[in-house]
Amino acid sequence: MSFPPALDIHWANLTPELALLITAAITTLFALFQRNSRSSAWLGLIGAAVAAALNANLFVQHRVSGASSSFGLRFIADTPGLALNFVILLGTALAILVSYDYLKRSDLDHPEYYPLILYSATGAMIMVAAGDLVTLLLGLEIMSLPVYVLAAWRQGARQSEEAGMKYFLLGAFGSAILIYGAALTYGATGSFVYADIIAALQASGFAAPLLATLGGALVLSGLAFKAAIAPFHQWAPDVYTGAPTSVTTFMSVVVKTAAFAALIRIASTIYPGMEPWLMTTLAVLVGLTLVVGNLAALLQTGVKRMLAYSAVAHAGYLGLAVLAGASGVRAVAWYLAAYTFMNVGAFAVLMLVSDANDHGDELERFAGLGRRRPGLAFAMTLFMLSLGGIPPLAGFTGKILVFQAAIASGYTVLAVIGILTSVVALVYYFRVVTYMYFREPESELPAYHSPAAQVAIWAAALGTVLLGVFPGWWYGLVSSGQQLLARI
Amino acid sequence: MIALFVLVIPVVFAVVTGLGGARRSAALAFGLFSTLATFVLTLFLYGSSGISVPWIPGFGVTFTLEPTGAGSVLTLVAALVMIPTVVMAARRVERSPGAFVALMLLMQAGLSGIFLAHDLVLFYVSWEFALIPSMLLLGAFGREKRRAAVLKYLVYAIGGSFLMLISILAIKPLSGAASYRFTDLMSVTPHLAAATQVWLFVGLAIGMAVKLPLWPLHSWLIDFNEQNHPSGAADVMGTLYKVGGFGFFAWAIPLLPVGAERVGPVLLVLSVVTALYGAIAAAAQTDIKRLLAYASLSHMGIVGVGIFGLHLAGLNGAIFLLAAQMLSTGGLFLVSGMLYQRRHSFDLDRFGGLAKSAPALAALSLFVLFTFIGVPGLANFPGEFLSLLGAYQHHPWLAAAATLSVVAAGVYGVNFYQRLYQGQEHEATHEIGTLEAFALIPLIAGILWLGIFPSPQLQRIQVQSRLIAATTTSASAGALLAAPLPDTTTLAGAKGGPLAPPSLPGEGPVAPDAPLGGGQ
Repeated sequence: MSFPPALDIHWANLTPELALLITAAITTLFALFQRNSRSSAWLGLIGAAVAAALNANLFVQHRVSGASSSFGLRFIADTPGLALNFVILLGTALAILVSYDYLKRSDLDHPEYYPLILYSATGAMIMVAAGDLVTLLLGLEIMSLPVYVLAAWRQGARQSEEAGMKYFLLGAFGSAILIYGAALTYGATGSFVYADIIAALQASGFAAPLLATLGGALVLSGLAFKAAIAPFHQWAPDVYTGAPTSVTTFMSVVVKTAAFAALIRIASTIYPGMEPWLMTTLAVLVGLTLVVGNLAALLQTGVKRMLAYSAVAHAGYLGLAVLAGASGVRAVAWYLAAYTFMNVGAFAVLMLVSDANDHGDELERFAGLGRRRPGLAFAMTLFMLSLGGIPPLAGFTGKILVFQAAIASGYTVLAVIGILTSVVALVYYFRVVTYMYFREPESELPAYHSPAAQVAIWAAALGTVLLGVFPGWWYGLVSSGQQLLARI
Repeated sequence: MIALFVLVIPVVFAVVTGLGGARRSAALAFGLFSTLATFVLTLFLYGSSGISVPWIPGFGVTFTLEPTGAGSVLTLVAALVMIPTVVMAARRVERSPGAFVALMLLMQAGLSGIFLAHDLVLFYVSWEFALIPSMLLLGAFGREKRRAAVLKYLVYAIGGSFLMLISILAIKPLSGAASYRFTDLMSVTPHLAAATQVWLFVGLAIGMAVKLPLWPLHSWLIDFNEQNHPSGAADVMGTLYKVGGFGFFAWAIPLLPVGAERVGPVLLVLSVVTALYGAIAAAAQTDIKRLLAYASLSHMGIVGVGIFGLHLAGLNGAIFLLAAQMLSTGGLFLVSGMLYQRRHSFDLDRFGGLAKSAPALAALSLFVLFTFIGVPGLANFPGEFLSLLGAYQHHPWLAAAATLSVVAAGVYGVNFYQRLYQGQEHEATHEIGTLEAFALIPLIAGILWLGIFPSPQLQRIQVQSRLIAATTTSASAGALLAAPLPDTTTLAGAKGGPLAPPSLPGEGPVAPDAPLGGGQ
């Protein structure tokens, strides 16, 4: 395949990312002159809104004229990608709201916080759009480096510093594996661009299927690290628990969205051309993730750590749809939106219930919350039930979609494992509800007020309910256009 | 459209009650208005038009409600039972009655959804939707050991229904149906290979057997009833929520007739065991609520016998019995709440001789108890009789064994009455109050209505079961369902009324006479 003419930049495709990047740059300048980060937070929200508007503009255009790409298929703006951009922007905006009062309360209010969040979100959007392994790597690094810093944001707290260090070391290792995989793939196919790799794999007499598949496997490992798929999930519980809760909120949704966006794009286009044992390996990993994530979550007594393992478990459910390849794209995009709402909500409630230094996240903290803070407890109930997959909330529809995708592509056994582990999941999610409503606290415990976080919580609750009751519109959006690479 | 309102009204009032009216009087007013309005609407449910809109397009999930025969009868009776139960709850629950009533109304919406859904995924959604309020009722308002009971209930219910979900998710891709609508599934699923049908049926059966409930998946029920709020209102909700039998009737058997034929005998044996085990265990109880729990378990065994006999008469009887036991079992649970109010205990030894100081309460209790043990002329009898009759056609010995549980019901029922109301009176008690009388009168009216005029409701149920029988004749197992039913005229004669509608299939399969059909 010959390269398109050198100058197909198509600036319009880049506008959402550029808007976010410019906002990040401006807030960085703010940080030089201001000690207070609040104006950066507002600017960040505005930047996310502008990026979302530009993204919507692209979305509408592409529904009419078809998907488009920049830099010779290295940067792809297709419907699933643009839909996932919305999810990332949503997660970013909610994370900013969650952080707004928390930073001050926890004495973490340094002006560099929001710029880092915005840079990271920009990287996440680049990962979503990546149509080439180098772009993917660039996006991954732009997204990850700020998060390494953010994880260690609580200076002097051993847990937080350990989280940052651990995430950085293991993250660097993950990136290295990804680069090695990209190199092997390049060696086998002569290109980094997905479209060319696919063409090379499909060409008759392709000489190095094993080498290419090894490359694919290493790329998979690198992405599985970011996506927290077992056995590459080991960092997740420690980092999620050690990082400040607002950072965990951001990480658990935006990083995961970007990782799965990249993974599904590769899994639905390149992997089918590689040797079949690659998908079998992924299937085994997904099954392992489901079992490990859910069983480990069951054993936790701290809610934060339980949610960390639950994030691993949800990586397993998303993995079911990734296995389905092209037919799973819609399910992944749908699920990630639902996951963003309910997970941000759960972490935000946890943040208000636990202490300023993130200690005190034990289940006992939730005892009697139903009486002390009925609204907060009600919202948390919605998030827990939705995460557990109870209809008619968003998590249920998401599960239906991923299980159905897995069954339709022949992974019935995995779907059965997924459903059985969901029973386990419901036990640990419902335990939180049990504490909130069925137990009285030993002593009166405070729960903090934060107007901004409460806005985020209610937005998330509304999203969880509306997505669940009216799943059609979002499903219609994510499946309205074509995928660019699917036609090649 | 009426079906949609039947779902929406309780939800709206649940939100209003839960958010705004935590006060007792407001909870009572909202609850009563909502249940009355719903009840009036359900009177016109049968024959009204359904509704069908896409829900998850591209995925074959629709929001389809269809007031079928059996579904509309069960919705109607449940709506009737809700009225006094809401009143009792609003008056007798000590702390936050508003929340209690709101949860009850949410549960009612879920139950109506189960009965009226005509899309398999919507059915499942309603099934789970009703579960959460019932779990919260138990967990937030129950007695001392409620947490263990909730956990047990959760594991059984969710474990069962998630297994059911596997079958539901698999049935569309395996059969290639156009959507999850009943009519679309029905045109293809009965032709699935026998082995596929069997495992799909087993998946559905486990979820439904937990909710029927069938031995050995019943043990959550006893703790559930023992630990629920002593007013008995939550137990009534639990009684309405025994929807497993309906699930088999409306979904599992028609969709997978071959699977039903293969697995049915096993379930029939389990049903007989359930009936006998429940009756024997009930006789040994000294706690009023545990006794009622085992007794109602025994009745659920009879429902199972009716359904898994896979005969038209039994299917009709089982659904009729489900409706009737909502009234009778529900009534007895409300009576248990009234008794608790007098003695603050459920221990049978603390009662005795109450008939001296509360003769009216004793009389009304006896009436409901007579219904419960299947005295002819009252609501339970036609259902029990037809259930056993249906099973007798193919499995006479099993049906005979199950009949023993009806005999046992007489024994433990009478014993129950004696220990409560006769003998030495320890201390005087007060006579039935206005509230209590108001609570029992609608139920008694319903019992008489179903007992004396069973035909109209049986005919409605029969419309649906005949269609099921007719459509499933396309598969090998259909012959079983459509088998001739010789004895109904005898029953009608014995009852002195036209119990069996004249349109009962006299010989062989009946042609589908409504758009529901389409097997071939």
